[in-house]
Amino acid sequence: MTSDRPEARRPASTQLLVDLVMNTRDPGYAAAAERRGDRSRRPWYEHAAVAGACVLLGFLLMVAYLHTHRGAPAAAKVHDSLVARVQAAERQDASLSAELSAVDAQLTAAQDRALPASGALVGQLHRDQALAGQLAVHGPGLEVELSDPPRPTASAATGRGGTTPIAATNILTDRDVRSVVNELWADGAEAIAVNGVRLTPVSAIRFAGEAVLVDFQPITSPYLIRAIGNANDLATGFAASDVASRYQTLSSAEGIGFTFRELATLSLPAGAPTTLRYAREPVPSAPSPSSSGAHR
Amino acid sequence: MIAALALVAGLVAGLILHPTVPTWLEPYLPIAVVAALDAVFGGVRARLDGIFDAKVFVVSFVSNVVVAALIVFLGDKLGVGAQLSTAVVVVLGIRIFGNAAAIRRHVFRA
Repeated sequence: MTSDRPEARRPASTQLLVDLVMNTRDPGYAAAAERRGDRSRRPWYEHAAVAGACVLLGFLLMVAYLHTHRGAPAAAKVHDSLVARVQAAERQDASLSAELSAVDAQLTAAQDRALPASGALVGQLHRDQALAGQLAVHGPGLEVELSDPPRPTASAATGRGGTTPIAATNILTDRDVRSVVNELWADGAEAIAVNGVRLTPVSAIRFAGEAVLVDFQPITSPYLIRAIGNANDLATGFAASDVASRYQTLSSAEGIGFTFRELATLSLPAGAPTTLRYAREPVPSAPSPSSSGAHR
Repeated sequence: MIAALALVAGLVAGLILHPTVPTWLEPYLPIAVVAALDAVFGGVRARLDGIFDAKVFVVSFVSNVVVAALIVFLGDKLGVGAQLSTAVVVVLGIRIFGNAAAIRRHVFRA
């Protein structure tokens, strides 16, 4: 192991790396200078060749720059057009639901005209409609607010491709909203709305992407759950529940927002009318004694 | 001086002509630019060392661009295009950095 000639001992690949870092000048220039010797006469085409190469370089640089920066606005354009389409669809949705509630109001008025002004029938109808979430209602109740903790930064470290950093995920999901809603039903709520969306007997609280869907309407944090009922019973029942204690713990541990308070008057909007596609009323003309007896 | 004017002329030409880059050429454009920059820095350094040669400059410019694009093209065909692009960028980046350091020593004597 004599180390008198380290250059010779170096493997070829290491030599390559050393050359790469240490001798960055193209050896071609030195070779050309040697060939040329002391002759200081430059060939006639020198200026033209250099100028041509520089034109090419400038052209290349500008094309690459334009190409790279023309791609970005195109992506932004696609994004903008998608946003515009979503907003247009939302506007259409809003106008359709406004139309729907107007027609609904007409229907209710026509119903009221057709039915006697007061009586057991009208009272029954209105109670059923209120319970089914088809009428706007107001009354005392409880308001529960759940909110995701504030994000540290809008765009923190992106992490490895294809993964979502923990900080970018929502802590609260449909499950949380659902458990609060179910607890409120259990505590005696008569009508519940989540972020202004009234829950009907066929409402679903689901999760898609990063948004909680209530009856397919996306809602985001903070989640405001309003329940009408006996305010005292609701408040005491909810405060004593496992759900409330769980979110109290979470609010101190994870930083989610969790508050609830009694309110003297709450007003909840009417829910979307339910269209029954499969359930049919029994035909009154031919009651089958066996089937009616089976339910007794 | 002529070189600087020619560079500006090239930039203006690119701005005015505004050519559309064909899709098949897209992946090689950034590599070609880095390779061209390497040739340019090498040329400037040789100029400062007093051994500039137009033929070497032009040939190294063109061959750098073509070879870099060719390597990436080959890598794409073999399924290692991204890795080979990285390799080319690293090697050319080291050379550009070394040449820039030499130019700095010439210009600032430091």
